[in-house]
Amino acid sequence: MDLELYQFSTTTVLLMLAAFYGGTYLLTLLIRKKKESTDAFMVANERIGIGLASSSMTATWIWAASFYAAATSGYTYGVSGPLHYGLWGALMILFIYPFGQRFRKLAPKAHTLGELIHARHGSSSQLILAISNVLGSTISLMVNFTAAGALVSVLSPLSFQTGVLIAGFGVLAYTFWSGFRAAVFTDFVQLVALMAIAVVIIPAVLFAMGGPSAFVTGLEGLTLEQQSFFSKTAFLEQGAPFFFAVLAYAIGNQTISQRLFAVDKEHIKSTFITATLGYGAIVIGLGMIGLLALSAGIQPMDGDTNNLIPQVVSTYLSPIMIALFFILVISSLSSTADSDLCALSAIIMADVYGKNIAKDNPDPKRMLLIGRVTMIVATMVGIIFASFALDILVMLVFVGALWGAIVFPVIASVFWDKVTNAAFTWSVVIAMIMFCLVRFELIPLTGAIAYFFEFISSIGAAVVIGLMAFAFLGIRLGVIFAIVAGVASMYYTADFLRDYTVLMASLTAFGVSTIVCTVMSLMSKAPRFDFRTISEEVQSYDNQ
Amino acid sequence: MDMKVAFYTFYILMWPALTLGVLFYICRAVWRDVKEAKKNNQGLV
Repeated sequence: MDLELYQFSTTTVLLMLAAFYGGTYLLTLLIRKKKESTDAFMVANERIGIGLASSSMTATWIWAASFYAAATSGYTYGVSGPLHYGLWGALMILFIYPFGQRFRKLAPKAHTLGELIHARHGSSSQLILAISNVLGSTISLMVNFTAAGALVSVLSPLSFQTGVLIAGFGVLAYTFWSGFRAAVFTDFVQLVALMAIAVVIIPAVLFAMGGPSAFVTGLEGLTLEQQSFFSKTAFLEQGAPFFFAVLAYAIGNQTISQRLFAVDKEHIKSTFITATLGYGAIVIGLGMIGLLALSAGIQPMDGDTNNLIPQVVSTYLSPIMIALFFILVISSLSSTADSDLCALSAIIMADVYGKNIAKDNPDPKRMLLIGRVTMIVATMVGIIFASFALDILVMLVFVGALWGAIVFPVIASVFWDKVTNAAFTWSVVIAMIMFCLVRFELIPLTGAIAYFFEFISSIGAAVVIGLMAFAFLGIRLGVIFAIVAGVASMYYTADFLRDYTVLMASLTAFGVSTIVCTVMSLMSKAPRFDFRTISEEVQSYDNQ
Repeated sequence: MDMKVAFYTFYILMWPALTLGVLFYICRAVWRDVKEAKKNNQGLV
């Protein structure tokens, strides 16, 4: 059955947005300083407590796409759908923290992961990381502004562009002066709103749609795959690609690194565990709305499953609950957008200006100005990309591949003293080329060529599993897990994985970068690297 | 209540329940952060 959406009046929506962004701006006045410090603009006081750090990490990682995609997964794949989105997304936060502890130990005063890589290898490696971070955060900004525009245009007479503009300028207004300090502080308030509303909305939808009995009755109309918690389709099409992207998204995202360097280092583990639980609970919970819609036989408006949650909420809940849902979405996209602005400004400040233009003799005041100008430029770019609905699919694919290609070189670089700059750089370049060959099927994936890439993909799977095991269980078990995963993968993927080019391409990027980086490092005659030099090179900017 | 209905009720509502638990934990942790910052005469962020 097709449903119509509830419409707020223009005045109501404008008042809600004014209250949200105006209220957030006023909150930042509580922590604002007339003269902000350059370091604090990027990483606050470097000893943020568990509460603020975990709320910030959770709020940042939940963006508008999180629950729309989780609901789509629930609607498409049935009972296991929300799990396959929310669980692996939550693991992205969890699996980075052991490596994050290492990053923080090597470079306690860092602001970006790029600074650590610059000290380890030099500019070419650093800029590969910085470029991937910039592209990723720009895409994220655009997606969040787009979500604002879509929400406003669907629930009010206002246009899509109006929503984009209000969100863009609203986020910039409260982030501009105090940077990361403002982002972290407001993230807590936004997360409280988000969580409290989610706690109320999920049961409200369940019971408004007839309760658990009606839901169970509706399950009988689902396919066997959709009724199964162990759906092979759901795992291969949603779970596995997301699972193997876990480390890539975590390593490639400056919003995570920034929090690793900002939180009190004694609390890194508890912060990230809390954020993992919070993210998983909210996203899987809201994803259940997609499953409820499937069980009720609802058809998404315009055939777009992103409309499911607004559609269900609008149809079954009261106007007050719809208004709360509106605040939930605005909170989630704003908390991520402000983190993207902070990530972009830190990368330009530290990685571009600090390490490459000023060449380790940066002027802190100029750096701060550059950071703020970056925020303005980034907001403009995000608004323009969102307003023109530019197709960013190719850019998204490219960024995902780049992040996959840098995982092994980055992690190996902070543990293994033989990795060289050449090994890092060439492993990423060659991995990207091989990724493109598979992803865009530039060569026929048949016969020996297909077997070759399935073999490489198995190595990629082995590397991902091995790194995750290494993070928590140490090198010996990491290697054992890698070997077992690799052998199992070779057995199961031969003659099979070639039909799943998205997954195969992603694993190829991991596999190739590992092989090239390892071989080149082993063959190198360069002296072994002294990790102690990293903390000597990566310092605060205000104290220089 | 039928077992299947009970199971799916739990499956759907466990997530908002977990969310509430995490929310409570975070709020309590932030309150402690605030008290600690005041005690040390330092900024919260």
